[in-house]
Order: sequence, then C-alpha cells, then structure tokens
Amino acid sequence: MRPSAASAALAAALAFGSFTLGAQKAAVPDIWGVWMGMAGVTDGDPRFRNTPYPAAPDFTDWGAAESKRLASSITPGECNPWAPVTFMGGSGLFPIQILQGPNLIVMHHEAITQPRRIYTDGRPHPPAEDLLPSFLGHSTGRWEGDTLVVDTVGTNGRARPLNGYISGAVNSGVDNAVRLPSSEQLHVVERIRLVGGGQYLEDVIAVEDPKVYRTPWSVKRYWQRRPDIDVQEYACADNSRRDAEGQNPGAPR
Amino acid sequence: MKLSSLCLAVLLIAAQPAFAHHSFANFDLTKEITLVGTVKEVQFKNPHVWLQVMVPDGKGGQTEWSIEAGAPGMLIRTGWKPSTLKGGDKVTVVTHPARSGEPNGSLIRVTIPDGRTLGPGGPPAALKTDG
Repeated sequence: MRPSAASAALAAALAFGSFTLGAQKAAVPDIWGVWMGMAGVTDGDPRFRNTPYPAAPDFTDWGAAESKRLASSITPGECNPWAPVTFMGGSGLFPIQILQGPNLIVMHHEAITQPRRIYTDGRPHPPAEDLLPSFLGHSTGRWEGDTLVVDTVGTNGRARPLNGYISGAVNSGVDNAVRLPSSEQLHVVERIRLVGGGQYLEDVIAVEDPKVYRTPWSVKRYWQRRPDIDVQEYACADNSRRDAEGQNPGAPR
Repeated sequence: MKLSSLCLAVLLIAAQPAFAHHSFANFDLTKEITLVGTVKEVQFKNPHVWLQVMVPDGKGGQTEWSIEAGAPGMLIRTGWKPSTLKGGDKVTVVTHPARSGEPNGSLIRVTIPDGRTLGPGGPPAALKTDG
C-alpha cells in the first residue's frame, strides 16, 4: 500500500472511530460514580426497593445439598471474593464505584478486591473450553436503549452464597435464610438502568444454574447514587483475627 | 430530640448485626454486657476494626477485651475516623459477648470521651431522595 493510500485509510479509520465513539457517548446513559446498595427489602424509597431472594428455591438434589453445606459452620473461605449476583446484590454496607468507558465498564466493590469487568466492545464470551473459571466470571454488556444488558458465564462455583449470607450465621439464631449456592454452570443476565431521575441504579438479575436450580429465578436490586462517599480499600486478609473458617476470633494481636 | 434520634439510630444499628464479611456466630447476640475501661489499642484495619480495651476484673487486676466492629469503610461512613479513639481513652462499651466465655465481644455501641456514642458501622441512614 502506498503511503498516501495508507494515510487515507488511517484518516478514514480515525474519523469512523471518533464518529462511533461520539455517537456511543451521546447515546448511552452515564452510570459513572459511587453507588450504595439499598439494604434489605424495606429500606428507603418504596419505588426503588429490593425484591427478596427466593425463600424456597426449586433446588436440584445437588443444589439442596450444597445449600445445606453452605449453612454449616464451614464457610467457603472468609476472604474469598463474591459471585456476580452477590456483588450486585447490595447490602447497604459497602459501596461500588463504576468507571465507564466506551468499550469497557469496570465496577469496584469495596468489600472485594478485584474489579468486575464488563466488556461492551461487542466481543463474545470465550469458548466454554477456554473460559478460565473465576469468582466473578466473564461479563459482556450491550446497551439496549437505556438499559445495559450484561451476560455473565464462567464462574467457579466457589463463592459464598448468591444471597450474600455468611455460613455459620445460622448458628447465631439471627439468620436462618436458605443459602443460595452457585456452580460453574451459573448464567446471569442483568438488565441495568438508571431510574429515579438518575439517582438510582436498578439491576434486574436473572439467575439460571441448572446444576443448582430446576427453575430460574430473578431479583431486582437497587443502588443509590452517593457522590458524597468514597470507596475504601478492603484488604480482607490484612488483619483477619479468625481461623480459616471464619470462626473463633483469636487473642489480641 | 437529637438525643432520642441518636438512641433510635443506635437501636436500629444494633438490631442489624449483618456485617456481611463473616459469621458473628461466635457471639451471643441475645446477650448484652457493658464494659467500662480504657482503650489500649485501636486496630483500624480490614477486614474488621478491633478495639482492645482494658477492663478492671474486680480483683485488682485488668482484663484485656477484644471488641470487634465492622469494616473501616463502614465505620468511616457512620461517624468514625481512624483518629476517633486512641490508647488511654476512657470508654463505655456495650457488646455481645463471646459464647466461649473468652473476653471477646461484638460491638453494639461505644461511648467515647467527647460524649458521643458510636455504633459498629451498620447501614447509614437512608438519604432523602430527590428522584
């Protein structure tokens, strides 16, 4: 290719690139910022209220056994990261920070150290045999009008329950909710959009995991825009004074 | 008025021992005890903040209590700063004691030298919405 032709091609590519970038910027909602999950199912504005996790999920035999295992005093590792459903579930305790670029959205959750990356550049998931199983899985996103549709696969099934409940808490008598496990077959489709004049983020989370549940289920979770707070570091293992199972706080150290 | 809102806030926080990180099953959440003592050390670290408090044992000696609160980020969002308490500060701690009988507890609230009472970092009060 002659230099002039190459330059012309480059110029065309740049022009096309900036055109699509500009068009995308203008078209998609701005979800950049710090967000705090609404706690529970009774907190805050009733228009933006979390729906509850299923209390009696349609478990497979494996799922029922795994749910019981997670409710024992043996935890799935107190510093293990969360699964994507738990990540987006909110608790009212920890914020997330969303960084939004044209081809990638990154979410930082205060309570786990690794970022959640949602690729919005049009790429597909890797083929199943090349998916490296991970706690958060592989997420792709596309905008459908005002809604970000996020598809996640490739989880490792070793995260704590999807409803965030901590194993062992059942022994305290204050938390006997059924534990909602996940496996490497977890497939999550989220529909995320701004509501309430842009002050809330709504995430409709549809969960299917045929190894655990005979029937898919979904929850709706809300996050409130909080420009007044910062996301802090959360290095879980820094000063953990418990044993490997999250029990028995040790002597002073 | 202010005091009663504070008390209510404290009660609400105490009613939600949901720290999300790990189990608080080691603590008897049906029991509350009050400790009056002196701060030895504050470990304002992840995953949870610990207060080391020296409490007279009634026999002329002192017992070192380990009091567990929420994560540093949670505390910072509910009125705490890393500098809020330091060694030598006199405090009154209300805590759920360990089931084991060891001198450990889960923080319900602590009254600090400037008279304020702070919680374990529970959910912040819902902001007024404009949407």
